[in-house]
Amino acid sequence: MSSDFEKRLERAREASARLKEAIGEVIVGQGDVVEQTLWGLVAGGHVLLEGAPGLGKTLLVRTIAGCLDLRFSRIQFTPDLMPSDVTGTNILVTAESGARHFALHKGPIFGQVVLADEINRATPKTQSSLLEAMQEHACTIAGTRHAMEEPFFVLATENPIEMEGTYPLPEAQLDRFLLKVMVPSPTEDEMTEILARTTGGAKPPPPRVLGRDEVLELRAACRDVAIAEPVMRYASRLVRASDPGTQGAPDIVKRAIRYGAGVRGAQSLVLAAKAVSLLEGRAHVSFGDVQKVAKPVLRHRLIRSFEGEADGITTDQVVAALIEAVPSRPENVEQAIRR
Amino acid sequence: MVKKIAPPEDRRFRDTFTRWAGRVRRRLALERVLTGAAVGLAVGAAASAAAWQTRHGALRPWMAAGGALGAVVGAGVARRRRWKDGEVALYLDGRLAAEETISTAIELGGRDDKDDPARAVVITRAVDVLEKASPKDARPSFLRPWHAAIPVAAAAIGYLSWIPLPPAPVTQGKPPGADTVQIADLKGLEKIIELEGATARDPEQKKRLEKLAADAKKLRDKLKQGAEKREVQADIAKLKDAITAERLSLGDGEQRQGLESALGKLAENPDMKDAAKALGDRDLVQFDEEMEKLANKLEKADRERAKKTLEEAAEAAKKQNAPDVAKALEEQKKRLEEQAKKSEKLRELAKAIGEGLSEDAKEALKDLEGGGAGGEEQQKLAEKLEEALGKLTPEERKKLAENMKKQASQAEGEAMGEGPGKQQMKELAEQLDTPEGQKRLEEELRKMAEEPPAGSEEGELQKRLEDAQRGAGEAEGGLGGAPMPMPMAGQGSGGKPGNGSKPGGGKDGKGGKDGSDPFAGHSEGGGPGDHKGQTGVVDGDGVKSRADARVNKGKPMPGIVMGRTAGRAGDTANIQGTGALGQAAAGELGAIERSDVPEEYREQVGRYFQPK
Repeated sequence: MSSDFEKRLERAREASARLKEAIGEVIVGQGDVVEQTLWGLVAGGHVLLEGAPGLGKTLLVRTIAGCLDLRFSRIQFTPDLMPSDVTGTNILVTAESGARHFALHKGPIFGQVVLADEINRATPKTQSSLLEAMQEHACTIAGTRHAMEEPFFVLATENPIEMEGTYPLPEAQLDRFLLKVMVPSPTEDEMTEILARTTGGAKPPPPRVLGRDEVLELRAACRDVAIAEPVMRYASRLVRASDPGTQGAPDIVKRAIRYGAGVRGAQSLVLAAKAVSLLEGRAHVSFGDVQKVAKPVLRHRLIRSFEGEADGITTDQVVAALIEAVPSRPENVEQAIRR
Repeated sequence: MVKKIAPPEDRRFRDTFTRWAGRVRRRLALERVLTGAAVGLAVGAAASAAAWQTRHGALRPWMAAGGALGAVVGAGVARRRRWKDGEVALYLDGRLAAEETISTAIELGGRDDKDDPARAVVITRAVDVLEKASPKDARPSFLRPWHAAIPVAAAAIGYLSWIPLPPAPVTQGKPPGADTVQIADLKGLEKIIELEGATARDPEQKKRLEKLAADAKKLRDKLKQGAEKREVQADIAKLKDAITAERLSLGDGEQRQGLESALGKLAENPDMKDAAKALGDRDLVQFDEEMEKLANKLEKADRERAKKTLEEAAEAAKKQNAPDVAKALEEQKKRLEEQAKKSEKLRELAKAIGEGLSEDAKEALKDLEGGGAGGEEQQKLAEKLEEALGKLTPEERKKLAENMKKQASQAEGEAMGEGPGKQQMKELAEQLDTPEGQKRLEEELRKMAEEPPAGSEEGELQKRLEDAQRGAGEAEGGLGGAPMPMPMAGQGSGGKPGNGSKPGGGKDGKGGKDGSDPFAGHSEGGGPGDHKGQTGVVDGDGVKSRADARVNKGKPMPGIVMGRTAGRAGDTANIQGTGALGQAAAGELGAIERSDVPEEYREQVGRYFQPK
């Protein structure tokens, strides 16, 4: 048994390394973005990438999809996109025999790696067409429920909502994303490297390094990662402290947050932390893992108050304050360690 | 939790962890024990300092036991707050940077689910972590900054036990008499208040007596409300001073010269030396008694001479502008006449009865003729005669009346003063002649026996002042302090302590002879009455003095030296003072105001030294 899980951990480490290497052949820099996207893939959650246009979000997603031997589909969200454009619809077809019947024309949601590009450019109605698929890995069309083929992994990109022509994602929609990954601007060196790679001759597509079974295996291993009760309790305390109504919540939460993260947030925190442990080759979760994933997991789940928005307090600042304020260990143990 | 771990790797982990946990727990317990000892010793040092301060020397070293007690308490606390496996595991994870491997292993080891895929991996890694770690890396420090109190407090206790105790603090209580007294009705004050109704010599004295009574009433009211003891004591002392001054007011001040002239005249008559002494002492009750004694004397010539002396003394006092003294002497002369009449009547009656008298009556007659103690002998004889008359049969009474008529007729033509007065004899004979007359006579005798002869006005006033003085003493005693002994004429016959207002009789050879000695002393209310309270007239030529001092010839020293009013400022043994202190010692003027005498006593001290 011991050797089995050890092997699985080893395989996970190797798969992670292979995937990172393959992505690295196309994507310059963005190590954290790639890392966090892999957490989502391994944990079985969906990832929302936010960044200004032209930072390589779509390319990153396409590259990841290309590295995985999975069916890829892309939805370009536009203001006039209809829900049926996402989910698909029944259309009338004529058989060779001349008989006519309705046949399901599956939409792009039925891919295994779905790129929802510029998701906040569509109306909330169209955005919400993703809800069922993302949460339940199934889609109901004309009264018929259609299961998604596993692994099902949605990678959405969005532009900052301050930009013209965007619709903020509803809270329910945001909550379905395991992680929200911020895509930063490349550094000077990275930019130079990007220029070198993209302005020359066409490059071959990245190799497919992970097949469907391997992804499913990674996801299963992620669920098997152990987590001690104090670590789970820490995750709970962090999430509870994000609620301004909770006694002992930090001042910044009381001032800047209207709604904190909920149970789904705490689940996501633990799952993401397990993914981190797995990809680092550990069979258990540490406090550090929870702290590491806290920002991408919680940043889109905290709804700022008017005061918080007016003061320009970001949710990342609030999460940082939470990590600072909520002790991971009991106080007596913490004091003994510090001595 | 650890018990459920199955062998073999689980047991290895359990053993390793138990070893580590023991180390951690021991050191944590040690820290608590030391903390307890530090607190105990610190408290012990404080208690030791308190024991030193309060001079409980024997307790000081025992305070070190506080350290042991604190250590025991610390051990108890350590036991109660002993870390659980989970806490130890978290501590070890933190110190060994094990990323919660040990905590997870502890938890997985305690679970029943032995098929947990991660279990073996986590436990194996936890064992690796623990086995590779050095005990130094995870040793909790048991020394805390406050543990420095242990040697410091122990040293302090040692030092405090070694050094000598501080000197006993000087207790500074309330100044004496500063406590408040509240008495509804202080006994004794009523006697001073009664002075209101006393007969005064003149309107000024009346006013003074009324003021005394009013002051006493005011003091009584003040006491009802409650006042400082010393304030009340000062008020009573003022009252006493005023009463004393009043007692000695006859012939005082401007009338002093007149009094002394009168005294000189009285002293010329040997029979009146005692009376002169009593007047000199301003003891007018005694003066009354001396006059009564003279009135009882057998010889009419003596009485006549005494009357003459009183006349001359009164005249001398008048000349020296001492009308009060003169008035008192004239009143004494009248009293002498009246008393003499009464005595004569009693004597004649007694002689007429003759053998019909009882032995007691004969003794009383003898005492009366000898001068006796004054009114008492007269009362006694009157009582005995009344008894004797009551026993007479009508025949005996008739016979007695006839005898007396005969004696009265025989007495005709005899010179006055040699035998019984004719008029007295006649009156008695007429009274005895009828049963009604006899009854009237008996009534008269009973009255004489029951009521002592009335004193002079001054004597009566003096009695009331003495009562008031005693009342002031009682009031002083009622405040809780011993009353100041007041100089009063006392009685000290036969060497026994005097007890009142009677003069020392000087019997048993200790004083004068049967009271006739002019130097017989008087008691100050507590001592024998036979000391020589007053010097006699000193013949300057017979006194030898090394200092060759000139003696103030012919002037007696004051009989009562109260230190307040008897003498005048400047009086010495051989110099008569002028009473003018300001002239005698001008530099001393305002000395009391400049002195450190407390404000509340200044007035009293001032009055004490006030020149008359």
